[in-house]
Amino acid sequence: MQLGFLVDLRLCMGCKGCEIACKVENEVPLSTWRLRVKYVDVGSFPETKRTFTPLRCNHCANAPCERICPVSALHYIENGIVNIDKDRCIGCAGCIMACPYGAIYIDPLTQTADKCTYCAHRVASAMMPSCVVACPVEANIFGDLDDPMSNISKYIQENQGNVQVRKPEKGTDPHHFYVGGGNVTLNPLASFRAEGHSLFNNLTHLPVGGHH
Amino acid sequence: MAHEIIAATNAVVTLDVALPGIVWGWIITMNMWAKSIGTGIIFIAFYLLKKYPLETGFIRLPSVVISIVFIHLFLFFTVIDLHQMFRFWHIFFHPHMTSMITIGAWLATGFVGIILGMAYFLYMKKDVAMYDKLLGYGVVLAVPVTLYTAGLMAQSTARELWQMPTESIQMMLAAFLAGSATMLLLGGNKFSDTIKKDLALILGFSALTAFIMYMLELVFGPMKAEEVVATLEFVKGGEYTFMFWLGQIVAFLIPMALVCKSIKDKSYYLLKIAAVSALVGLWITKHVWLVIPQLLNMS
Repeated sequence: MQLGFLVDLRLCMGCKGCEIACKVENEVPLSTWRLRVKYVDVGSFPETKRTFTPLRCNHCANAPCERICPVSALHYIENGIVNIDKDRCIGCAGCIMACPYGAIYIDPLTQTADKCTYCAHRVASAMMPSCVVACPVEANIFGDLDDPMSNISKYIQENQGNVQVRKPEKGTDPHHFYVGGGNVTLNPLASFRAEGHSLFNNLTHLPVGGHH
Repeated sequence: MAHEIIAATNAVVTLDVALPGIVWGWIITMNMWAKSIGTGIIFIAFYLLKKYPLETGFIRLPSVVISIVFIHLFLFFTVIDLHQMFRFWHIFFHPHMTSMITIGAWLATGFVGIILGMAYFLYMKKDVAMYDKLLGYGVVLAVPVTLYTAGLMAQSTARELWQMPTESIQMMLAAFLAGSATMLLLGGNKFSDTIKKDLALILGFSALTAFIMYMLELVFGPMKAEEVVATLEFVKGGEYTFMFWLGQIVAFLIPMALVCKSIKDKSYYLLKIAAVSALVGLWITKHVWLVIPQLLNMS
């Protein structure tokens, strides 16, 4: 068995339901994310559009984080998930240096590395990851890549030619695919990023008493 | 390539998490800097004791003491950088041997055992022959202890700037630079002019070679990967430009100039200034090279 993820970016509408479901399910602390949805605006007014890209751990077959972890806190489990044992982690941050996808962070509460585990605890109980359940448009597709009859295998077959992974040049062999992606959505260097000036955190308020 | 995409699409990130910031900071710089001195002094002591056994016997004790102090500083900074420092023992009891962190920890432990043995036999047993024998083993082990950090940087797949074998050569050069500089400060005027010239040449050639390598990386690195282009922008007019060039000047150019002047004038009083400059500059240079790849957004 080799579990994998696929996100159809043509369906994703950026509702962040998956992000919130993940936060709640895994008790992800404030200021950290196992899964997040990135918004990138493309074009110039009035010809503009907004793209949405859910970003999580890629559970690579050749995972640099697993290789660099000195204590096997990051390890493979039999279904292909790269899991993390937080009791074993020493917090060296080697995995953060190694992950080309920026998917690993230091949990501020436990002071250990943490990342998406494809909800390994739910999968062990034959449940879908919480982000899959929460997605209102079924843009998140999860399943066994080794099973040709699984939804994810069929989806990949049906969309051949339009399936991509992030940073294939890194040789990590990700088990996380995107349909309908492109440079703007999958390459972090292909979009301008002004830190601190994003849609919801640069709010401006009218001065009190300005309009009566 | 990415620049052209941005220009063509006018793509702007409008909502995302903040960048994670620098995870490996000055503590790791201290780690690399102290290790360069701790292993470098052993390389240089071995060279001097083999080439000038009669004139350099006095360096045995101070060399091993310096090595012990700086290797323990390296270990100290390694441990305090861990977010769970009291779990450090996991490396020995749950080792994952594909990790250069694990291999480095085991090698450094072996190296510490050897240099402590050297100090024991020299100071407690007055056994110089045993010291010299252990020094040979110490040199052999000092090589992988010096190199393992380069291996760790190479395993850091996300950081395209840190390439192997470039980093391994830079680590060795840093050890020779730091070792010769420390020996010059340690030996002072007790060394003959011939020995001072030898040390000056090691210092000068290490500085020259390291400088050339940094310059080549600066020029040719961006020709292979767009991540390197983006990373090096931080030292090509970006926020680390001043610090980068300060490091290059203080670590390499000033020592090179002082070494040349010393050899030309057959006057070696400037070498101590060169040595201090090299040690200070090495810290700055290492720090910049450590930090800039971490400023890049990975996702």
